Amino acid sequence: MDILQGEIFRYYDHFVIPFNIGVWVLFAVIVYKYVRWFSRLTPEDKSLVGRGLFSRKVFGAVGEVVSESLLHRRIFRVDPLLGYMHMSLALGWFLLIAVGWVEASMHLTEGFAPLHAHVFYKFFAPSPAGSTAETVLSNVMDLLLLFVLSGVALAWFKRLRSRALGMKRTTKHVVGDKVALAALWLIFPVRLLAESAQAGLKSIPSFLTGNLGEWMVSALGEGFVSGFSAVAWWVYSIVLAVFFVSMPFSRYMHIFTEIPLIFLRRFGLRSREQRSAFDHFQIEACSRCGVCIDPCQLQADAGIGNVQSVYFLRDRRYHNLAGEVASNCLMCGRCETRCPVGIELNTLRLNSREKFSALPADDRYAYVATADRSSGGGRVGYFAGCMTLLTPRILHSMERIFDTAGEQVWWADRDGGVCCGRPLKLSGETEAARRIMDHNSLLFARHGIDTLVTSCPICLKVFREDYDLGPVEVLHHTEYIQRLLSQGKLEIGKQDILYTYHDPCELGRGCGIYDQPRDIIRRAGRLAEAAEIRDNARCCGGSLANLEIGESSQQRIAASLSYHYRQTGADILVTSCPLCKKTIGRSFGEVKDISEVVAGAIRQ
Amino acid sequence: MTEKVIIIGGGVAGLQAAATLLELGLKPVVVEKTTHIGGKLNDWHKLFPSLTPASAVLAELKSRLEGVEILTGTEAAEITPRSVTMTDGRRMEADAVIVASGFDVFPAELKEEYGYGLYRNVYTTVDLERMFAEGRVHLHDGTAPRRVAFLHCVGSRDEKVDQRHCSRVCCITGVKQAMEIKAVFPGAEVYNFYMDIRMFGPGYEEMYREAQENYNIHFIRGRISEAGETQDRRIQIKAEDTLIGRPLKMTVDMLVLIVGMKAGRSNGALARCPGIELRPSRFAAPADSFCSNVYSGVPGIFYAGTVTAPKNVGESINEGVAAAVKAAGYIRSKP
Repeated sequence: MDILQGEIFRYYDHFVIPFNIGVWVLFAVIVYKYVRWFSRLTPEDKSLVGRGLFSRKVFGAVGEVVSESLLHRRIFRVDPLLGYMHMSLALGWFLLIAVGWVEASMHLTEGFAPLHAHVFYKFFAPSPAGSTAETVLSNVMDLLLLFVLSGVALAWFKRLRSRALGMKRTTKHVVGDKVALAALWLIFPVRLLAESAQAGLKSIPSFLTGNLGEWMVSALGEGFVSGFSAVAWWVYSIVLAVFFVSMPFSRYMHIFTEIPLIFLRRFGLRSREQRSAFDHFQIEACSRCGVCIDPCQLQADAGIGNVQSVYFLRDRRYHNLAGEVASNCLMCGRCETRCPVGIELNTLRLNSREKFSALPADDRYAYVATADRSSGGGRVGYFAGCMTLLTPRILHSMERIFDTAGEQVWWADRDGGVCCGRPLKLSGETEAARRIMDHNSLLFARHGIDTLVTSCPICLKVFREDYDLGPVEVLHHTEYIQRLLSQGKLEIGKQDILYTYHDPCELGRGCGIYDQPRDIIRRAGRLAEAAEIRDNARCCGGSLANLEIGESSQQRIAASLSYHYRQTGADILVTSCPLCKKTIGRSFGEVKDISEVVAGAIRQ
Repeated sequence: MTEKVIIIGGGVAGLQAAATLLELGLKPVVVEKTTHIGGKLNDWHKLFPSLTPASAVLAELKSRLEGVEILTGTEAAEITPRSVTMTDGRRMEADAVIVASGFDVFPAELKEEYGYGLYRNVYTTVDLERMFAEGRVHLHDGTAPRRVAFLHCVGSRDEKVDQRHCSRVCCITGVKQAMEIKAVFPGAEVYNFYMDIRMFGPGYEEMYREAQENYNIHFIRGRISEAGETQDRRIQIKAEDTLIGRPLKMTVDMLVLIVGMKAGRSNGALARCPGIELRPSRFAAPADSFCSNVYSGVPGIFYAGTVTAPKNVGESINEGVAAAVKAAGYIRSKP
């Protein structure tokens, strides 16, 4: 009994109690969450995990964990100082734990050393033996502590001047996050004080804690420092406990979620049209860093500040997601390209909407069965889309282009057709969308085409992602026209006109088509690029995906966009989406679809 | 020395303001950006509801301008109560300014789905009025139309083109022109597609009734959703008859877009003057809509006519009188 007591209490002081409570609560909650999430994965997802665990994908995942969870490489791309801040906290703390473990294991050799003995090593450390290894380790630990403290200082500074760290706006945090944040910010300064006082009392030499401790003892007296030290260790233990307990319930759950997410993503798991258990791994991996706020035009141009991805994920995680928040998003995808964790923000937003929409009545889309108003015939099918039918200059230009190139064309919807289904999908009506998609799929199959060309990127995206069209190649008209030009089936003349180009969200970020339209424009004239283009291009504001904002907000977004493009000095703004064309046309001078530019420059 | 009042705009409101100031013994100067005075009335043939020739109204207004200084081809760039700076850099001192810069016709090309500028037989009310003035209404190929559709509210009450307001005078314009078409081509079928018919002026409702009873003009409640061109250059329109709740398709020889009033582009320059407010529609906001609707809110700057909102010709002329009287009162009350 005595031996046992001696074993346990060899490294014991009452101040370790809060720390131990915090650690065990944290551990229990994390285990509960992991078990719950993993057990609820779909059978397909589970088998992906099973196969992935014994594949080379594991090595890739480990590499990504190092580069993202510790080094925060993607945040460095947003802003180097912001990246350094995140890295110093993550990598610094990780190394403090790892190196501290080595240091403690070297010296706590007498009997059983519990976890807290490692964590509060300086308190339990024997008086210095003065070996070189020991001195080196103490100094390394001091250096690491300084590294972390520099990150904490930057985090404080960011509260005052976030712009210096590349962020115009930062996240508005909830109370729980603020508590955890306050605890996190206190941990390292308190640790510095506690360890310095201890080092001073025990005369452990090192450049930071050693010197500071020595100065404390000489300036304040050993008696005072001894009392101060006792209080400091208690405070250190308590702030650690507060942080640990709040971790799984706050933004800091991302530390334990991002790592499994990286593995699962490498194993091929993805969020889907319907909610799934995998969504938890994405939702709780959000650290609420707020990098998604600045690119959001709803924030910048329309003054809407509670719907950005960080707030959407937070609300969904805490089960208080309002329909208005889920629906108030342009789904332009700008935040998704910047998210340092790589969360599938658009997919999660979409499958949140599904919950808010009702199933259609059985006969609601019965009429589509008889709706075939197609005309003509040929291997190439052309699907204008509703928006192209409302911008007939595009349709006419395409007619001209097909005619000049001598293509035989089957016109799917020139005299009216059935919607591609994507607007319904975007509003969360997946079942209704499915019925319409089935109709169109049959229609395309019936007319025996091998290429389907559309002028609308919204249609293009849904054809590519949600239709099963077998061998039919689906092309946007920019791709198709560029092909005709390259093959010499179409010739256009270069004119002395200065164009600028607007990347439509669904075509650019949505389908990765950036180069073809630019190539076409350079054949037809000169191209002046705006500041924010390609995967950072802004949305026109007319997005069908936003079910909340009214025309006035859309106008504000478009007006800001028009101003942005006018800075290029271009005569004509070119885009390749009928909806963008209509939306920007209200505030920019002359806006043309790329097909109009081509049709106007055809060399006969 | 006689006090000088600069009037921005030589349309009906501005000309009437000039005539009134002259009567009151002040010195009006009219600044007109185009080459001749008279404003949009120069492009108009006959005015509703009396079918008075626009030229008669203009002639009457011009006859009152003996001694008024008129600067055509001159555009105001910056306005203050005591001076106006022109786009060419000239600066003119004044004792008061009346802004009567009017409106712009809504550019129908923005409603691309109606094919204006793309299909040959799609016209606007302005085009049709010009044809009436020229004395010959015809299709693109020179022939006479047998079936004509008018579409109301093009560029009015339409959020999609950022035009939320009602332009007021277009309903009666559409009815007037439909009757005129019928008078020229008695055998033609004429359809008016509308969402509401707003007949606010004296004699307007009577005219609307006459159009139905004596001219057999068909009024269909529903906006046209899109227009297309057939092989023989006719216009196929798709609409919904909302009274019977059915979609309809119709092929016509001529589609006339009844274009609304858009706030003048010149209001942008006006808004740079401190204290001047624009409405969300970009029309200028008067100090209030009751006792001060010709006051701008900036002492010494007054409004007349459609710079503040869509108005008909008579209302604009009345505001010319009101603004002139208030400007004169402002000048005389100064110490």
